Amino acid sequence: MEGSILIVDDSDIVVKSCEGILSPEGFLITGTTNSTDAIELIRNNDYDIVITDINMPGIDGFELIRQVNAVKPSVGIVVITGFASQKNIREILQLGIIDYISKPFSPHTLLETITKAMYLVKKIKAIAAEPATEPEAKKKTDALNNIINEYKATPGSLLRVLESAQDLIGYLPPSVQRFIANGLGIPVSEVYSVVSFYPYFTMKARGKHHIRVCVGNACVAKKSGQVMTRLKRNLNFNEDNLTADGKFSYETVRCLGACGFAPVVEIDYDTHGAVDPDKALDLLKDYH
Amino acid sequence: MPAIKLKSSNISNKKLTIEDLKAIKDSYKDPRAGGAKASILVCGGSACKARGSAKIQDALIGQLNDIEGDVSVYETGCNGFCNQSPVMTIYPDMTLYQAFKPDDVPSIVEEHFKKGQPAERFVYKDLKDKKSIPSRQDIPFFNLQSRRVLNKTGLIEPDDMDAYIYHGGYMALAKAVTEMKPQDVVKEIKDSGLRGRGGGGFPTGLKWEICRLRADDTKYVICNAGPISRSIVETDPHSIIEGMIIAGRAVGAKRGYIYVREPDNLFILRRLHTAIEKARACGFLGDDILGSGFDFSIDVAFGAGTFICGEETALIRSMEGKRGFPTPKPPFPAQSGLWGKPTIVDNAETFANVPLIISNGKQWFRSVGTPDSPGTKIFTLTGAVNLSGLIEIPMGMTFRQIVYEVGGGMRKKSVFKAVHIGGPTGGVIPESLLDTPITYEAIAAAGVIVGSGNLIVMDNNTCMVNEALNAMEFGHGESCGKCVPCRIGTKVMYDKLLEITSGRGKMEDLDMLADLATEVRRTSLCGLGQTSPIMVLTALKYFREEFESHINDKWCKAGKCTKLSTFVIESTTCTGCGSCARKCPQGAITGEKKKPHLIDQSMCVQCRSCFETCPFNSIRIEAGVAEEVDSW
Repeated sequence: MEGSILIVDDSDIVVKSCEGILSPEGFLITGTTNSTDAIELIRNNDYDIVITDINMPGIDGFELIRQVNAVKPSVGIVVITGFASQKNIREILQLGIIDYISKPFSPHTLLETITKAMYLVKKIKAIAAEPATEPEAKKKTDALNNIINEYKATPGSLLRVLESAQDLIGYLPPSVQRFIANGLGIPVSEVYSVVSFYPYFTMKARGKHHIRVCVGNACVAKKSGQVMTRLKRNLNFNEDNLTADGKFSYETVRCLGACGFAPVVEIDYDTHGAVDPDKALDLLKDYH
Repeated sequence: MPAIKLKSSNISNKKLTIEDLKAIKDSYKDPRAGGAKASILVCGGSACKARGSAKIQDALIGQLNDIEGDVSVYETGCNGFCNQSPVMTIYPDMTLYQAFKPDDVPSIVEEHFKKGQPAERFVYKDLKDKKSIPSRQDIPFFNLQSRRVLNKTGLIEPDDMDAYIYHGGYMALAKAVTEMKPQDVVKEIKDSGLRGRGGGGFPTGLKWEICRLRADDTKYVICNAGPISRSIVETDPHSIIEGMIIAGRAVGAKRGYIYVREPDNLFILRRLHTAIEKARACGFLGDDILGSGFDFSIDVAFGAGTFICGEETALIRSMEGKRGFPTPKPPFPAQSGLWGKPTIVDNAETFANVPLIISNGKQWFRSVGTPDSPGTKIFTLTGAVNLSGLIEIPMGMTFRQIVYEVGGGMRKKSVFKAVHIGGPTGGVIPESLLDTPITYEAIAAAGVIVGSGNLIVMDNNTCMVNEALNAMEFGHGESCGKCVPCRIGTKVMYDKLLEITSGRGKMEDLDMLADLATEVRRTSLCGLGQTSPIMVLTALKYFREEFESHINDKWCKAGKCTKLSTFVIESTTCTGCGSCARKCPQGAITGEKKKPHLIDQSMCVQCRSCFETCPFNSIRIEAGVAEEVDSW
């Protein structure tokens, strides 16, 4: 079976013996007796499974599991422990591991447990990669990871992450929201609550050029409604406010703060003021 | 000598001392004095940009090559004269050219520089006697205003640090950090009577004092640079930064944030980043500011749209990366704000007033305005007036003065109906209250708010029921959903108003609307719920007969509610000129030449184009065609 595994145990014998059992089966094995090094390794490599001891000097197994969950939530964890009391096991299981093995264990148990765990991890990864239906999101996974890592340590940075993600992908479909929630280690519901609250965020794809028509009261008084009607009539937006060729999309916004020269239409980042409804379509000429 | 296009000069990009500040102030060549022969200040405000101010600058550079002597071209921030855009002023004689096209530049240069006289065609003409007024300072629009916060706009390049310093910039900061103790700064602001320009009108000095007296080590200063403040950020970003640093010094904060609501407003962001960078390079931000031992830094923070985040507690929540839900006050942000630390939140206009007060003193600040509302207030003036734009008027000026003097009176064919004040959650003031002075108290007494400082002059084509409907659409659309009165009350009012505008209203709805609006105001947690029903209340209070005619006569006299109006041609006055028929997009108007025309009501979509086109005022708006009432 394929898959990469990291073994962390302060006893060199355990590491070596696990390696001896697992590598002939086709697994790619890395072993370390230092849990601090282990975190560094996990951060820089993509392991499918981490096998870890609980009682270790320095960073213990509990802390290691917590950190793995924070850094790489998709990594499956299997615990090897010599202190298999019921209470201990319950605590370990609560950390969200796949399975545990009590010392001493037979090679057969180890192999069976790890094969099962690997099967599970692969399956979960396949489900998590489901946004294959949204290819643009998948392609940009790495870029998204960079964004998440950049802001991860800053408190209150969810808005910034979402803004950058929307900049990158164009919109925030559920798969991206899930990805960000995982990456930041916060519930998906929290991400969704923010995305759905702020009008800047969109869960629908936008056109190549995005038109914003201001419907603040100064603009309405100066006929932004007619500008809107004119654009709608000529561009045939679908129910997602997108044209058939994906070139233009629109939304109405409330006050762009340029009331002095109402009505205002913003296309991409350009502000057009004092728009004459009759000439609204001319604005689109420069956007190909 | 060929003309040169000057971009911000970079004399000051090292850490400055107070002596350096004075030296720059003395040595800076003011473009208004005319570096050599003349200086041309082209307005780069949004309106002028939209009308080709960049092309105008290029055309000027091209044309000025064969003019003798140095002529420099500058791009300034918004002049506020947006109605007449594009605008440019030639110093030293202050000739203001307006409403021209880039193609007109050669003839302006020819007349102004070669013939030595103002190019008549493009100077401002008085609205009444049509006399030319070439000089900027003689134009009533400008000289009726009291430009303090906006005193540099239109005169300096927004990114030009030296120009800002020349106009007294950062001298207030120098004074605040070297000559004054923090408590003196707070006292000065408190005594000046400055009140929050963000709409609420809370005394700024009091807020600062609450914050200053908190023992916490960490405190924050936040500038809310929402759309309302766009004009100041665009034209004079350093005045905001200077005000924030002084605020930080006064309350003991070391970090400031400028909160921008739209993260994609690149123009504003670039301007802010440039200004912050320059202030940092010059040592106005960072450690040991001007050798005083005081440290302060400013970062730009973002929201993600939504109106509610203009409310200070909601703004703070959104800076913490959460939904922008307001929280109950107290505790006020000045006690417990961002991350639970004492925080001052003020809008950009408030901060821009601070350096002026510190430099010139409280007496100077109080020299305009009223005792309770001293100073000036910036408004955007728009609607059915002749001159719309950005204005700064002394507090205490009446609405009548603004509409008829600063704004140049009503447009042709427009009859005054009301002034809408306070932005989307504001209300209307009828003609009978036009003499109300603009002070926080008088405006509150009239039942409206200063709000975002947006004045819309409404004419007889405005339907107040429709305006109330729009306000409620806004109210329920922007409600964050936290409090029931605001979330549901606005929706219920919206539904009722929709019924009235579509002819299904009942008289008892009016009392219900008034009750509900009052309750929503009374029981909502934050400023949004407390103000969004104002339009309903003021419309009912001052224009009740309009609601009654909608309900009883099924007649929207302004012709805005399509189901309650029909457009009819008055056969006695129609000359049969056919201009309406040509304009009608539906082809619903027929008639022989020089004979009264007729509108086919079945085809009419009530677009109003005939009504607006008719040179003889022969289109009448009548009651709607009685609709079958649903009988279920």
